Amino acid sequence: MDIDGPLDFESEDLLLKPPTPSKRRKKIIGLDDLVNDYLKENKKLELKAKRTKARKNYYSDDEEDSVEAKLSECVEKCQKEMGQISGEDEIYLWGLQTFGDQKTRPSLGFTELGSCKLLQSFMDNELNSVVELDIEKGEVFLERLLVNGWLLKLVNASGHVEKSIATWAFGLTLYSSKEALSASACDFWTAILSPIIEIKIDWLPSYSEIKGALEIYGFQSTFSSIVSSHVETVNADSDCGGPPHNIRAWIKYVASCTQVRRYSIFSTSEAEELVVIIICLFLDRQLLGLSVILHECMLSVINFFAEDEWSTSCEKVAKTIACRVPRDMNSLRTVESISGLDARGKHLRRAVAFHILVACLDNKAIDAETILRILISINVKDKSCDLFKTYMYLVLTENWLSSNPMLEDKSVIYKLWGVYLRNCSCQITGTDLRSYASKVRSKASYLLQGTNNQ
Amino acid sequence: MEDRGISSRGIEVNTLAILDASGFKKGSQDLIDDRIAFLEAVRCASIVPENGIAPTNKMCEAIFQILKDEDSMELIMASYELLTDIDKCFPRVYTSNMETSPSNFAEVVVVEEAWLPFIFGSESEKEDFNKNSGGTLESSGFHLLIQDLAKVAVETKIEKLETKSLRTMVLLQYVISVLEGDFVPRNSVFKENMNWNLVKESLLNMLLGSRRISYKGLIKDCLSTMCEMSHVHTDSQDMRVPEKSAAKRLKHSNASVSISYFEVKKFMRTALQKFLLMVMELDISKKKADTLGLTTRADGVRTPVVEIIQDELTYNRDSLSPFFQVFDEPKWKLEIIVQYFRKYIAKPSVRTRRSTELVEDATFDGVLKCFSNSNSVKSIIKKISTEATQTLLAHAFQAFLSLSSQHSAEGIHQSTENVRDSSLAEICKNVISAFTNLRRVDEHTEILPFAKEALFAAATILSTKS
Repeated sequence: MDIDGPLDFESEDLLLKPPTPSKRRKKIIGLDDLVNDYLKENKKLELKAKRTKARKNYYSDDEEDSVEAKLSECVEKCQKEMGQISGEDEIYLWGLQTFGDQKTRPSLGFTELGSCKLLQSFMDNELNSVVELDIEKGEVFLERLLVNGWLLKLVNASGHVEKSIATWAFGLTLYSSKEALSASACDFWTAILSPIIEIKIDWLPSYSEIKGALEIYGFQSTFSSIVSSHVETVNADSDCGGPPHNIRAWIKYVASCTQVRRYSIFSTSEAEELVVIIICLFLDRQLLGLSVILHECMLSVINFFAEDEWSTSCEKVAKTIACRVPRDMNSLRTVESISGLDARGKHLRRAVAFHILVACLDNKAIDAETILRILISINVKDKSCDLFKTYMYLVLTENWLSSNPMLEDKSVIYKLWGVYLRNCSCQITGTDLRSYASKVRSKASYLLQGTNNQ
Repeated sequence: MEDRGISSRGIEVNTLAILDASGFKKGSQDLIDDRIAFLEAVRCASIVPENGIAPTNKMCEAIFQILKDEDSMELIMASYELLTDIDKCFPRVYTSNMETSPSNFAEVVVVEEAWLPFIFGSESEKEDFNKNSGGTLESSGFHLLIQDLAKVAVETKIEKLETKSLRTMVLLQYVISVLEGDFVPRNSVFKENMNWNLVKESLLNMLLGSRRISYKGLIKDCLSTMCEMSHVHTDSQDMRVPEKSAAKRLKHSNASVSISYFEVKKFMRTALQKFLLMVMELDISKKKADTLGLTTRADGVRTPVVEIIQDELTYNRDSLSPFFQVFDEPKWKLEIIVQYFRKYIAKPSVRTRRSTELVEDATFDGVLKCFSNSNSVKSIIKKISTEATQTLLAHAFQAFLSLSSQHSAEGIHQSTENVRDSSLAEICKNVISAFTNLRRVDEHTEILPFAKEALFAAATILSTKS
């Protein structure tokens, strides 16, 4: 084999395999012919025989048919064996249960109706003979004003939101079990927090109130990890708990709070905590369908930091994440959930990948070169080598190194990376049946192709 | 450029190989894994690096096919987000920087070879389409999507929802966002330089002009779907979030469907509205091009979308309330309502008093003035029922309020004709008197809850302004 030439796994595989496959292939080609013959035969038989097709298949002493039967038997057997082989290949899935049992929600009643100026000022209006507003039923009327969009129009016209309305709408956003109310209240808050329109808001929530809601939903900052190798288990476990639908409103509310800096509802450390929480939410399969708003929220929160705060905060967030996330598929999902669309996202993605990698190597090294040397020293040919871990190292390192401005001029790092990739792609053979062997091999050779192309 | 070509082809071969490698594996989870790996590989090659390489057409097609055909929630969301991110990083159409252009006009840059989820028109393309039916939509496919959506919209039981219905919505959203990304820059530049070809060659115009779809049917399906979606929006009682016990019974995949359902549905409403608004803008541009003599017979004739909406609302008055609940773009909303009223307001020119009144009619203020006259009020409610009248008046007022706060926020004094010449306080007064007149004409008139809210709003604003 030409060593300097490009790697060609096909030809390599051929060398490894015994010559039998070519024989088998002949048989398989024969199958097409047999089917054709069978169809021809069938047409003839249509006229005389009324035997069912299945019978014909199995009981006919026609020579062709018996060959066919043998063949199909053989194919079935092969398929079973194949199934067994791939069945041994354990598949790891990401997925954490981030929500446990919900706690009791605070009561939502509009307690300050009496002091609500918006309603009170209308009571004496002569038009009330038509509108028939009753202060006792004021809450229902306010709800309608909210859902139908009038409340926002009124607030826009007056440029002012009184405290009683702000707190009431806040409660509805996070705790109302009526979808329309929760969504409308969230839209209302998003609109009044919008940086375009200046509206005086008499009350703003604190971080603890926002985070408190998440705890009431049953959010657990320490995961009862449902690390499992099969989909079924993930499904079964999800039966208990799970967040209420208000989680959507929560995500959007946080996104709009971080869009305005003029109120500074959150401190820097609180915003850091929020980034961690949002990343954790990405790990819950039940929230998969919300990934669009989760990404928007993430974008909004990471852009909340001031320019001089960002680097430090990004490192802090990445370290916290690395401590909390289980070192399995969830680590990879964590990195992949950071979309890397803008500069800060790219930065965070690299940092998180790096810190998880460091944690996976038991914090033995934080220096780039040493890390890569540790990786290279792992013997992937060794039967006891955990190839799933190797797979993780590959993905994490790729994300940490790819277009990393800190390492741009350190060619030695990329050389070592190349060595590691070659180790993984060449030392694991195509016939290696260990779980994750083929995944590591194809991932490494894919990445190797990429580095060659550059 | 040469280098880029080579490396993007390299990436194409390598990433697509991830999908091909699935050839002899059987497990469905394996297949999902491979597709996820493929999507992630494309993201790492194109989006994450500072100077990512644009994915090739084959790659985009493969991603789109995943979105179109897969049933896994994870794949649907990942492929949708990847496609939208690709569009953000590598737009097909964009306006070039004003400074570089000598004429001081912005220019449109169209990436001709960019991949599109559509295939239009000619026979040769049709053959092409049949060959690889997986990766693209035909123009009739767009209509089919909207029809599928209509089926999803009428489903009110969360338990019955499937990933498939969610996929329909996500897919349609993507397709509409592609239309938007193509049409908006073209149309905004057309407004400056009057180059009709820009708009004429837009995907939207080609889609609507395609002989493979029934344009009117498409718009009507769009409208009815929007109305269906609004029912759910208001009848919160019917569409309550399942209680915890019910939620427990839901299977896992279903739990993630139901939790995201409202969100996707909301996006969907916005997307459909966006689609209609684009068609309205297209109609305006076409009319402008017509008057300037820029169009040819090849451009064809198409009923303006606003007329179709007017017809729908005229013949199906029940759809007035749901439609305007969903359709909340204030400028067009007000426009449509004012035009609707005008059809029923007795033309003053008949009585030949003042010809200027004709012009006044075209604004909301003009309509309100007609309601000060009890004779015209009588004739209007005779034609379109007092309920419809109230609904329309209240919605028009709401749209007016939106416009006026938009203008004050943007500091625009030179506003559209509907807001001009009438102060907020004056409009509030006129709205109140219009409703009072409605009651005066017929004492048994029940004022609808929505109209009561409008009255409350008008009175409250008036009291703070005066």
